[in-house]
This record gives sequence, C-alpha cells and structure tokens, in this order.
Amino acid sequence: MRPPSQQGYFMIVEKQLSENELFLSCCCASQGLSWAAAALRAALGEGAERRRELEQRTARGRALLWRWDDEEEERPQPCSSTEHGDRPSPKELEELELLNRALEKALKVRKSILKTPLEVQGATGQKWAGEAHAPKKAEEQQVPVPAEDVPECRKVRAGSKKPLLLKKPSPYQLTAPYRTDPDVKKLQRKLTARCVSQGPRTAGKVSSKGMTSKQGRSHRTATGASAREVCAAAEPQETPSLSESAPNEQQSFSGGDSAVGENSIAAGKHLLGAGKKSCGFLGESNKRVDAAGAWGRSTSPGTGTLQEKGCQLKLPLPYRKAYSRNSRAWERCRLCQTSADAAAARTRFMERIQMTFCSPKLIPSPAEIEEELRGLQDVPFHLRQYVEAVPADPPTLQEEYESLLTLEGLQTTVSQCLQKLQLLQTALESQLRLRPDCTGDVGSCSPACVPARGQTCGSADVLAVPLLYYSSLQELSDLFASKLQVSMLHQEIALQKALHESWSICCSAQSRPVEIGSDFSTTARTAEVGKGWEKETAHKRGFPGVAANSEGKLTL
Amino acid sequence: MGGRQRQQHRQQAPALPAAVGALCRALPPRARPAPDTLRRARFDRPQASLDFWRLLYVLLKQIHGGGWTESDAIGAQVRFVKSALWFHGYGRPQLQRLPADGSAGSRELLLAFSWLLHRLGLLEQLLARNRLQTGDEASVCTCEDELPSIQEDTAEAGPEDRVDVRYLQWLNGRLRLQWCSLHAQHQEQCKLLHKIHLFTSGSHMDQNLGHFSVTETDLIRQPENYKQLLQLLESETMQLEAFLEWKQLEPIYWQWMETVLDNMAEEGNMCESQGAHVEKKRLPEVNSCCPWADKLTGQMDRLSRDLMALQEQLHQLVAQRKALWWEKVAAREELQKERFSATARKIQESVELKLRSLTSLCAPKKNETHGLCRLVLRNKHPASKMGLGGCVSKEAVSAVSAAEVIRELQVREASLQRELEQLRQECRHRLDEIAGGLEGVICISH
Repeated sequence: MRPPSQQGYFMIVEKQLSENELFLSCCCASQGLSWAAAALRAALGEGAERRRELEQRTARGRALLWRWDDEEEERPQPCSSTEHGDRPSPKELEELELLNRALEKALKVRKSILKTPLEVQGATGQKWAGEAHAPKKAEEQQVPVPAEDVPECRKVRAGSKKPLLLKKPSPYQLTAPYRTDPDVKKLQRKLTARCVSQGPRTAGKVSSKGMTSKQGRSHRTATGASAREVCAAAEPQETPSLSESAPNEQQSFSGGDSAVGENSIAAGKHLLGAGKKSCGFLGESNKRVDAAGAWGRSTSPGTGTLQEKGCQLKLPLPYRKAYSRNSRAWERCRLCQTSADAAAARTRFMERIQMTFCSPKLIPSPAEIEEELRGLQDVPFHLRQYVEAVPADPPTLQEEYESLLTLEGLQTTVSQCLQKLQLLQTALESQLRLRPDCTGDVGSCSPACVPARGQTCGSADVLAVPLLYYSSLQELSDLFASKLQVSMLHQEIALQKALHESWSICCSAQSRPVEIGSDFSTTARTAEVGKGWEKETAHKRGFPGVAANSEGKLTL
Repeated sequence: MGGRQRQQHRQQAPALPAAVGALCRALPPRARPAPDTLRRARFDRPQASLDFWRLLYVLLKQIHGGGWTESDAIGAQVRFVKSALWFHGYGRPQLQRLPADGSAGSRELLLAFSWLLHRLGLLEQLLARNRLQTGDEASVCTCEDELPSIQEDTAEAGPEDRVDVRYLQWLNGRLRLQWCSLHAQHQEQCKLLHKIHLFTSGSHMDQNLGHFSVTETDLIRQPENYKQLLQLLESETMQLEAFLEWKQLEPIYWQWMETVLDNMAEEGNMCESQGAHVEKKRLPEVNSCCPWADKLTGQMDRLSRDLMALQEQLHQLVAQRKALWWEKVAAREELQKERFSATARKIQESVELKLRSLTSLCAPKKNETHGLCRLVLRNKHPASKMGLGGCVSKEAVSAVSAAEVIRELQVREASLQRELEQLRQECRHRLDEIAGGLEGVICISH
C-alpha cells in the first residue's frame, strides 16, 4: 500500500448523501486518486475473475439438467423445422410459446383421437389406454379417463380452453376427485418417496414424469401420462398465455405426418419432451428449451433428463472401484499416526539441526510473526466493543463493581497485547537482519511477498475433507449469500482502511495542509481554496449559489 | 566415513532405500525426485545440486500457492528457495551462502528438505493441497481475503485530469454492480447444485454422501471426458499408499539424516566458527526492498497506535470509575461490607469468564475448519437408501452443518459491519478535523 504523495494543490471534495450508495471521493494529489482508482480497478478485476470461474462451473451444471442425448457443444438446433419457425429472440417468450404449443397439441390430439374412425382409434386407443383393456368399446371409455385424471388441470380448463370446450365438453370435464390409474398411482408414490420433491407444485410432475420413464416404451401410459403432465406443467404458467396461443402450429405439426396414429405417438413423445422441459424449466431463468431434441425421438431409458432417471444412475464401474480405493486410502492416512520411534527420531534431528542455526532458537520465524499479527488485527475493534458495552452509570453497587473490574481487565488485556506487539516488532527486526540478499527482482524472489491465499488455512487435520451438510435450497442459498456478504465487507473494510491510512499519513506531514481525503459515505461538503486550481469544477457540480470571487475564495 | 558409520549404514541399508523410495513416491507427481538424487545429496555430490534446488523450488511454490514454469532460471529458483526458507525460520547460515548458480550444496539442501518435512508437515500439506476434487466444494472459513496487491506504478492511470472524482464514483458503482451480479450467479449455481443433488439422491455408493456431485454426474453422462480423472484418482491413491509406507519407515530416514549431521559436524567445525564471525560483521544492512516487511511494519504501527489510544482511554476511564466507586463504597460502608465480599467473588469470576473470550480472540485462531468442504444434501429424515454396489467407509466423518456455518457467518458479518461503520465514523471525524484546521475553508454540511 503506497500512500499518495503530496502535492500543493487542492480540490473540492464533494460527498453526496445517499443512503445505500457509497462512493469514494478522494482528493489531494491526482496520484492519490490514481491510487484509489487502481485499488478499485484491482478489486473489479478480481471480481470479474470470480464471475468467470463461477460461470464455467455453472455452465457445466446447466448442461446436466438438459436432456442428455442432446448435443452439448453448441446451442442445439431444432431437427425438424416444421415445428419451429424462427425462434423469437427472448428466451422466455420462446419457452412460453413452446408450452403453449405443447398444450395445444395435447388437446388437439385428444380431439383428433375422438374424431377419427374406429380402426385408427383402435390403433391409437391401445396406446392411450392406461390399462390393458382389449375391447375397443372400453377404449372409448378409457379415453376420457386420461383426460379426467389430470390432477391440476382445473385451472387450465378454466383458462382459455373454452372454444374447444364448446365442441366437446365431456372429455374435458375435469372433476374432482381425480381418478388416477392404480398402477400409475403406485409408481407415483414410489417415486415421490425416492425423489424428494422441492415443493408441492413439482410433486405431481415428478411422479408423473418418473412414471413415464418407467414405462418408456409403453406409449399407452406414456402419452396418457404426458397429457397429464403437460397439463400439470402448464398449469401454473399457462393460464394467461393460453389465450394467446396460436392454433396454426397444430396444423404445421400434423401436416407433416401421414397417419393420425403416428401423429398421436409423435405428439405423445413431443408432449413428453415438452412436458419434461416445461417442468424442468419452469420458474428458472437461463434455461434453454430444447424441444427439438424431444421431438421425433423415442423415450429410451438412456436418454431423458436427470430429473427422471437421476435415482437410477450408476457411476461406471472403473470409477467406482477407483473411488472406493481412493477414499479408503484417505481414511487410512487420516487415521495414521506418527509412531513413537519416528517422533523421537524427528525431535532429535530437529534439535540438533536447530543448534546449528545462527540465530537463537527462540525468536519466531517470519511466518509465525505474520500469523500472530494476523491474530492481533481485530483486537482493538473487539476491545472497543467491550468498552462501549460497559454501562456508564450503573444503578447498583454490584454493577458498578462489575464495570470497574471489566475495565481493569480490559486494561490488562491491552497492555498484554502491547507487550506482545513489542515482542513481534523486535522479532521482525532481528529476522530482517538475517534476511537473504534480495537483489534484483523483488516480486518473484520473496515468497512472503505473495502470501498464498490458503496458506494460513493449514490446520492440524489437513487430511480430512469435512462434509458440509445442507438440507434445503434455502439453506444453500443463504450460505452462499452470507459468504458473499462477508467477502464484500472484507473488501470494503480493506479499501476503507487503506484510504484512511493514506491520507492520514499525508495530512499529518506538512504544515501546508494539502490533502483532504474522505471516506465512502460522509455527507459534508467542503469547499477549499487552492492555488492554480480550477474553480469551475464547483460550477460543474452544480453547487447552487456558490460563486468564486476575485480572490479565489468560494462563498455562498 | 568411519567404519562405525559404515556399519550403521549397512544395518540400515535394507530398509533405507525403501524409506527413501516411499518418501519420493509420496511427493506430488510433478515434484518427485529420484531416490538417487537424495542418495547423491547425502554425499554432497554437486551433480545433485541442480535437481535439489529445483525440487525445493517446486515444493515451496506449491506450498505458497504460486505458479512456476519449467523454464524458470536457476538464479530465480535459488533466490526463491533461500527466501522461502528464511520465511519459515530456517536459520542455517551455510544455506544462505550457497552459490547462486546452483552448482553446489546438495547436502545442505538435503538437510533443509528434511527440516521442511517436519516443520511444515510437507507431505501432508501437499497431499491436502493437491487433493482431487470430485465433489462440489465450498469453503467455510472466514479468513480475510487479501486485497489484490496494487502495483507500485499506476502509470496506466493516464493523464491527471482523467482521474477525477467522478471516475472513482463510477468505479465504485461498477464494483457494487459486480457484487450484485456475483450474487445472482451464486444463486443460480445453488439452484443447479440443489437440483442435481436432489435428482441423484440415493445413487452414490458412499453412504455418507448419498448423491452425486456435478463432476460425478457429468462423468456418467460423458465418461470419455473423464479418463484423466480416473488416472489422477489412481495415481493419488498410489501416492497415499506410499505415504502410509513412509510413515512406517520414517525412523530409519531420520536416523540417516542424523548421520549426515554427524558427518558435517566432524568436517565443518572450523568452517562454522569462521562463518559465525562473518555473519556478525555483515550485520546491519537493512534491506529496504521488502514490501512484505513494509506491510507488516505498517500493520504493526497502526495496531500499536490503536492500542495505545485505547490504553489512554481506559486509563482515564478506570481512574474515573475507581474514584466513583470509592465514593459510593465510603457512603455505604457500614451497610454492605460483609455481604459484599461474597458477591464480589462471584462478580470477579463472571468478569474473568467474559474476558477470557476476549483473550481467545487475541490468539490466532487455529481450530477453525479451513479449506474446502464437500457439499452434501442430507434431508432431516433421510429416505431409504438404495445402495448400489459396495458401500465405502461408514465411519464417522467430520462434518459441519450449513446452519452452523450460516450462523457463524452472520455473526462475522455483523461484526464486520460494525467495524466498517466505525471506520467510516473515524474518517468523518478526521475529515471534520482537517477541514476545521484549514484556512479559508468553508464547510457546508449537507
């Protein structure tokens, strides 16, 4: 830290009052300003570095939440252009549109299934039925079942499905209680137990999606369930947008395929994918919807999102073995203790070698001096807290006595700290005398000049990596938010201290007071006269009613 | 070498190569010497010197978190090693006298190396620092992040009139914006992590963990990208096993090092006494070019100023309160003398207790969890685990809960906030003082 040098001119210092905004006004030599600017720039640079690192890590995590069979390198393009026209540029709009389309298609497919001739219906009906019901008549009955089974679709229906409702009221009547297929229900329960959901909203979705993954190849339940999940997914967000959904996408989709049967299957898959996407991405920003990946592909167990198959994933065998061996080895190392022989042998060696040192053994090493000093840094602050906490006028005699004792105790502590500091100062001086010559290149030679960030973090049990348990998203966010807050405060304090230091040195020096520094949030406005100083700065800042007279004094 | 020593050496001989070999293999891969280098150094062969300088250079750079390249000049290496050894308190003058071209001194370096092994816990430190991270890690310590060192030359600041107050205001605003963005990024990261942990719950073979981390999930998705990870994992395991072997064979190594000292004691008696004289003559050349020492001195000065101001303040306060106290006691002496001595003792104890927490603040904190922790999602009511494959260690592992850490952080945050406020107050006072003391100054309070 280099205090700014002094020069003989002044500047106006303006400090605005602003509650949350702190800014720095530092005057004096322009070098002081440059120095402050350099400090701020350095802090900014460091912050940018942190952001970059964080972005990299986040990108990797993001990629894991998409469908796993996508291309990861670049933004996945839609494989079939019929479904997507030009993507609208804002991502959120895109997502919404996709959801709208998905919903439209689901309803259209249902509609088309009911309308089409029996044989086609028979073909598709099998795929629709949640149960293994052979008779076609039963299928007709089955078909409304999926429609009714949508748990949360009430809102959706109440939304803007009115035009369709008018045509076919009965399939779209959703009444409570919603009857679900018994099989599906079992699976739902099982999966809900396994995959602990984030909240009530996602619970239904998780279960339905999980179920669909279980019966990947069986499109019957798949498409039925997908209708469910699409509705479920669409529910929270789609109510306002349904009215805006354009019906023409349906034509574009259905136009490309020949048979309705295929249509429905494809629609089912599409819904599956879109539904998953919507559930996965609801409420999240920065997620890219890749519906294209979903469309036209089969829902095999190897693909799909993490959400549906995360519980079943297995690490590859070679990694598992290596990991087990590795963690066992770490554990053994952690528990391993130095034998008595070894300890004795070490001590003997160390004693003998230390006798050959040129300095007396007892002075602390530079590393220790630094360490001790670091420990002492906060002491004045804490002491002052204690002093302020002592009541000024205690009512009872006991409290008076207590206050007195506390103050005396604090006094003792202060003198102890001062003594310690004195010792450290002496130690530093003697160590510096022994310092190796450092000719030339100062920066790279002394390791002490580049103190490692984690250097003081050398605790006794370095070989254990403790686990940090958290139980909810809220806790995790709070943790990171608090850490960030602490870092920010550290930075502010450091900047503040350094600044304070710089101008307090300058101000104490000369008789011709040259520096007026300030801090980050003072509220006084000070005007000062100087030689060779530009008076119009005041005017630039808009000081009302301040004018310079001929002598250069500023008056109100 | 005397015959006795040769005999000793032969007795140790079977185990010594094993010990040295284990030591070498327990060092990190990029800093691994050949056992031969140590053997040659023991006999002070000059061929081993360059290798040994390089070894110490790389090891110390790793400890200090600095970077190095293959092409760093020997002169720089020598300077760095000498400086680092001084920093850690190694005081053998012979080392400092070694030539700067690295052509001699392998035996001295061997001694220094052994000293570091014990003093810094070199092997353990390096193992911990280079540990492979397969989990999602977060650090929990509240160690002060150092401000990045500001370069001496602020030449890039540009012409004088460019750097005005508004520029600083702008920079400050940008800094605040950056913190906000960082916060938002962290929040997003949290959501991602939580999701991944949630979705993969129940899949990890290590029961203590229960779910995958981002790296592990990515490993499943794209195993081909992680072949190197596997290799690193395996090589780390071998390094750990070498460490365990070394711990068994340690005593042999230290005894061997003592024989080195014996040799040197025999040979070097006369040289040492000469050296001592030389050392004393060289005395008061104060090197001014050490920014580290300057920084430390600055801190010490500041601290001493603060403490002395406090001492002054407390001196007055205590005198005041004592006077008051004696007044009060004199007034009620007849009433309370007997009863009071009992309560007095209690009060003394409670005050001692209070102050003990303060003194613990004065000592550097050594027992905090520093470094990185692996984030693990664990519900309060853990669901039934589906253990796939064999389970790894179920022993109690050291763990902290996020709730505790958050509490500590909040306490720290409050304390820092108070400190910042206090600093600002001081600045304000200071400013008022200065402004008041200047001529022709008109302070307009807004």
